[in-house]
Amino acid sequence: MKNIQKILNAVLSKNIIEYILIDKDLIVLDSSKEVDKYLEKKLQIGDDLLSLFPEFVGAEEKIKEIFEEPTLIYTLESVYKNDYYVNMCVEHYDEETALILVHNITDRTLSQQKLLQYSNESILLNNTLQKILDSQNALLFVTNKDEITYVNEQFMEYFSLKRVSELKRRNLKIYEYLDANLKDYNALFERVNDKEEYLLIGNDTFILKATSIEETHKLFTLTKVTKLTKYMQIDNLTGVYKKSYFNACLERLLRKKTEAVLVVLDIDDFKHINDQYGHQTGDSVLKEFASLIQNNIRGNDVFARWGGEEFLLILENTNIENAMMKVEQLRRLVDTHIFKEIGHMTVSFGLAKKEEGDDVHSLLFRADKALYEAKNAGKNRLVFKKM
Amino acid sequence: MIRKKILLLGDFSVGKTSLVRRYIDGTFDDKYLTTIGVKISKKVLTVEGVECELLIWDVEGSTPSKKISLGYYRGASGAIFVTDVTRRETLDNLQEHKEIFLAENPGAQYVTAYNKADMLSDIARERMAVGEDIFLTSAKEDENVEKLFVELVKKMLA
Repeated sequence: MKNIQKILNAVLSKNIIEYILIDKDLIVLDSSKEVDKYLEKKLQIGDDLLSLFPEFVGAEEKIKEIFEEPTLIYTLESVYKNDYYVNMCVEHYDEETALILVHNITDRTLSQQKLLQYSNESILLNNTLQKILDSQNALLFVTNKDEITYVNEQFMEYFSLKRVSELKRRNLKIYEYLDANLKDYNALFERVNDKEEYLLIGNDTFILKATSIEETHKLFTLTKVTKLTKYMQIDNLTGVYKKSYFNACLERLLRKKTEAVLVVLDIDDFKHINDQYGHQTGDSVLKEFASLIQNNIRGNDVFARWGGEEFLLILENTNIENAMMKVEQLRRLVDTHIFKEIGHMTVSFGLAKKEEGDDVHSLLFRADKALYEAKNAGKNRLVFKKM
Repeated sequence: MIRKKILLLGDFSVGKTSLVRRYIDGTFDDKYLTTIGVKISKKVLTVEGVECELLIWDVEGSTPSKKISLGYYRGASGAIFVTDVTRRETLDNLQEHKEIFLAENPGAQYVTAYNKADMLSDIARERMAVGEDIFLTSAKEDENVEKLFVELVKKMLA
């Protein structure tokens, strides 16, 4: 007991812990001398605890239980009082008295506050940077060892990813979309570095850029330009795709294993329309014709103007029998349509089925040859040219 | 005189201390100084003829790694949940703050502050879904700060 008293005196002499004794009515019975420093006014015997320590308001019942139950303790941590930080602990002293220990933790808390301030500011900065990164184009951050360490929200959203690890599970490798037999991201970097590369993913076009970050990482940026490129690939007069876009689609199609049929369309005797009604009327007819066809094909069929009165159509995922039925429908549609300025006109169609070993030229050559035969056979018909 | 304990709760750096400072002292400081632990302020006000001493507990904000000590919640009659309109995540975390508080104080009342409203454009301001107990506030511009506390007191006294 003597030792405990010595320890208590030592602690009290260092002004680290002060004490207050209270009765069941929460009236102050006694206190250590230095407790006043935590208070706005000088503590006096007989003071109401709650007016000195509003921190205990709401906890009155809990404190009263302590008088009855010696094992109960009520604590409040890190309370700012009169320029000090204190921990306050209410303990059972005897059945009529409770002891409140006030532990000065100012130095420790101020150190913690500095750390917390630094940590919070770092989190805020990090969150802001994260938002900036997520608002940018799709970003992919890769180590020299081909390990993807970061992708931003735009990237995740486009590829329907919930977390980076899914990239591995889905075996998603951006360089494979380039169709250049690249084996890893290092090879992609070597190819793209210092220039821009167009990347086709599904129906979207991206501009791919690569940047070296230190000696250890590479940052790939994918900027979606689908709308822009489509707009640039649209024929001004007819509103359908230009031949250049069609060629890109055809090349992509040839790399796939799906069935497809290429159709070349040519308006019959268009020269006579121009001669008889003038070029302005000719332009109107081309516009009306293009719109008629465009409105009667599927959304994923690609329809383009080759030049003059000649048009191209890709029917993907379609066998030749269905393609011929569809083209016959289109032929009849034109044949029965009353064009606003010229009334009746017809179209000839040449069809070629995509075969193994085909390239753009061979496929186009067969479809064009079929068209030639359709014209020679009397026009307003379709001809399918086998390999 | 009635005495009521209320808490300001929310993520760190949403402006809890600034709201208290604006309400108690009528001042504002742009510099962010993180609160640690709890600081209690008193304010006596009369609402609908009833004099009330508010004990305002400005509690440190919760961070992803540090949750608020449950001891602070004991005996509270009300709470002001504070979010920062410039940080969507603070709004997303609102529900969690409410659940923890109401679990400790099932009968308590609360209001919500969408703080830092001075940062919103007119269009963004219109888009913010404020309702009966939700206030667009700005400690900086002294917007709706007093109203926020008074409305909470009204609810607690009702």
